[in-house]
Amino acid sequence: MTKAPAVAAAGQHRSPAGSENVWRLAWRKLRRHRLAMVSLVVLSLLILMAVFAPVIAPYDPIAQPRGANLRAMYFQPPSATHWLGTDDLGRDVLSRLIYGSRVSLLVGFLAALSSVLVGTIMGATAGFFSGRPLRFFVGPFVRDLEADARTGRFLAWRIASWVLFYGALYLGARIAWTLSSPSVTAALGGGEWTNNAVLSAVGLAVAWIGVAVAAWRGLTARFRLDLDIVISRLIDFMLTLPSLPILLVLSAILRDPRAAVGNWMYATFGTASSVVIIIMILVLFGWITTARLVRAAFLSLREQEFTMAAQALGTSNGAIMFKHLVPNAMAPIIVEGTLQVGIAILVEAALSFLGFGIQPPVSTWGNMLTNAQTYIFYAPWLALPPGFLIVITVLAINFLGDGLRDALDPRRQH
Amino acid sequence: MFNYIVRRLFQMLPLLFLASVAIFTLVSLQPGDPLDELRMANPMMTAEQFEDLRRAYGLDQPIYVRYFKWLGRALGGDLGRSRTYGLPAAEFIFQQRLPRTLMLTVTSLTIALLIAIPVGIFSAVRQYSAGDYTITFLSFVGLSTPNFFLGIILLYLFVIVLPENLGWRGLPVGGIPNLMWSDLQTGRVTFGSYVGQWATHLILPVFTLASGSLAAWTRFMRASMLEVLNQDYVRTARSKGLNERKVLYKHALRNGLIPIVTLVGLSMPSLFNGALITETIFSYPGMGRAIFDSLVNKDYNVAMAALTFIAILVVFFNLVADVLYAVVDPRIRYD
Repeated sequence: MTKAPAVAAAGQHRSPAGSENVWRLAWRKLRRHRLAMVSLVVLSLLILMAVFAPVIAPYDPIAQPRGANLRAMYFQPPSATHWLGTDDLGRDVLSRLIYGSRVSLLVGFLAALSSVLVGTIMGATAGFFSGRPLRFFVGPFVRDLEADARTGRFLAWRIASWVLFYGALYLGARIAWTLSSPSVTAALGGGEWTNNAVLSAVGLAVAWIGVAVAAWRGLTARFRLDLDIVISRLIDFMLTLPSLPILLVLSAILRDPRAAVGNWMYATFGTASSVVIIIMILVLFGWITTARLVRAAFLSLREQEFTMAAQALGTSNGAIMFKHLVPNAMAPIIVEGTLQVGIAILVEAALSFLGFGIQPPVSTWGNMLTNAQTYIFYAPWLALPPGFLIVITVLAINFLGDGLRDALDPRRQH
Repeated sequence: MFNYIVRRLFQMLPLLFLASVAIFTLVSLQPGDPLDELRMANPMMTAEQFEDLRRAYGLDQPIYVRYFKWLGRALGGDLGRSRTYGLPAAEFIFQQRLPRTLMLTVTSLTIALLIAIPVGIFSAVRQYSAGDYTITFLSFVGLSTPNFFLGIILLYLFVIVLPENLGWRGLPVGGIPNLMWSDLQTGRVTFGSYVGQWATHLILPVFTLASGSLAAWTRFMRASMLEVLNQDYVRTARSKGLNERKVLYKHALRNGLIPIVTLVGLSMPSLFNGALITETIFSYPGMGRAIFDSLVNKDYNVAMAALTFIAILVVFFNLVADVLYAVVDPRIRYD
């Protein structure tokens, strides 16, 4: 925890003098980190290449050649006209590589940014409200003085929570009903036990009595919900799932134009939909590390004096979280965000490599490698350039992250 | 401790239930269903016949009904049949594929640990030396190299370039040797050639799979050792005149290894993700390949059996890591 922004955040968090010094100090430290500076230059060059792709690329990355002698145009080894050769459809590898950097970098940066954003919000919520359960459900027949005193927003939430609660009960009752139907009971095993109509009737009765009791109690109940427990359990749950297969399946589901979701994606984002889909998918598992990090930082930050001072002044929870605490947790967030860019690029490349990411003819470094593997034995020039670009990009990002960690952590001396 | 383990086991159940619900839902929501292929194979099929087939496969029922049916059968030990292989899914996954994947993952895990620990120690002891910088740089490269690219490069090197230039037979492109355990018993192959053939088939996939963990664990081991070496008790040990070997291996290493125990337990998910990609590249018929194929072919029973098994394994190894952590580090207590 740096001292300076903490002081700045206490009252005059906009004070430029206090916060600028910290960042300038970090920048000076970063400049001494040679590998990080080299990485910064490499990354800038890569970004420039992506931005100016139409200017730099010698050929159209998608157009296939036409002409009498097509055979000679496919699988050309590197030459003066095609510096990196041509691929299985006669397209220029260099141009595809340059255009591919657009998608790969865009996906990497946007996915990392969104992951860090989602992770920060989740982690901040979990850390700040840990051990301070929020009013979640107040039954319709509870006289809740505190809630009555407040206006609209709380009433709306109260009604929404009734809908959620009774909706869930309805769903449970319906599932119990469907499951107890004879054909299902028979299918559950077909043995004497499960085939027993009495047993299935008992099961149904128990389920419905449970629902009825919950519905009755719900009229006068109040629950509080600890958001930290909810978010931490969600993280535990996400970590249980086998991530790569889940990502493959999700990508297939979201991309299906016959289904409602896929259709909507195509209608809304057009050709960019596969980029949007892959970013959404990457964020699904990408926010977790940031959330854990921010949660841990918040657990200690919220006990410090400047937080109490802000609370005493009547600052709202949202303002305390995002104006006072988040700036103090910024150093680890920045480092994590940098590393996430590398992870996102790697995962995107893996998904595209397996054919579940960005779809051809749009090129990315990952899907260029899919073809490269097929033809590795007689066109090895297809595999090396996209692979090396992935390695160089991710390496630069990791070195930069390492440099930033040294620069932003006051305890580290390099 | 016993109470802690029991409590954790009970906490695992709802987690696994939810995980299996999520996996089942996603797997069944995939575009297309197993009937598409049948319909394509037989364009003359009438709509009624198609509906009959849907009913026969149970695909006309809502997903949650299908889920509970699956759960009921699975709890009774019946995981259904594989549609593409015609075998019971349990036999296919657990008898055919799992042992091969275990061979791959356990070998690469062992190799990664055997290299990462000494290299990490060396790097920490010689901090800021040329060797340390080289190791750090190499482990960064390892972390930044996608294993599918590494696999392709290794294939190219060891199957084409080196054999062509050295006049060597080269390593196999992929797959597994056409050998059975019974061949060894009947004496069709000698033990040496049995092991040798497996080794030549395994060496590239194992190295591909190991590279990521190797790089990560080397860095981790270095950091862990550095932290321990700066502790007071190490300084005390040195100042009372112990020789450096004893300080390193008796005082520092024992504590430096503790975090590695957790790390290995927690690396299960990434190991299985890596196995999926590695097995795809090297056409290694293991569980990762089975998962990939079952997702592509809509072989729901196989996908569910394998993915739920991985979820169980991940949760179980998390628990094992936590328990082992307490066992090796007496400062940690659960109650």
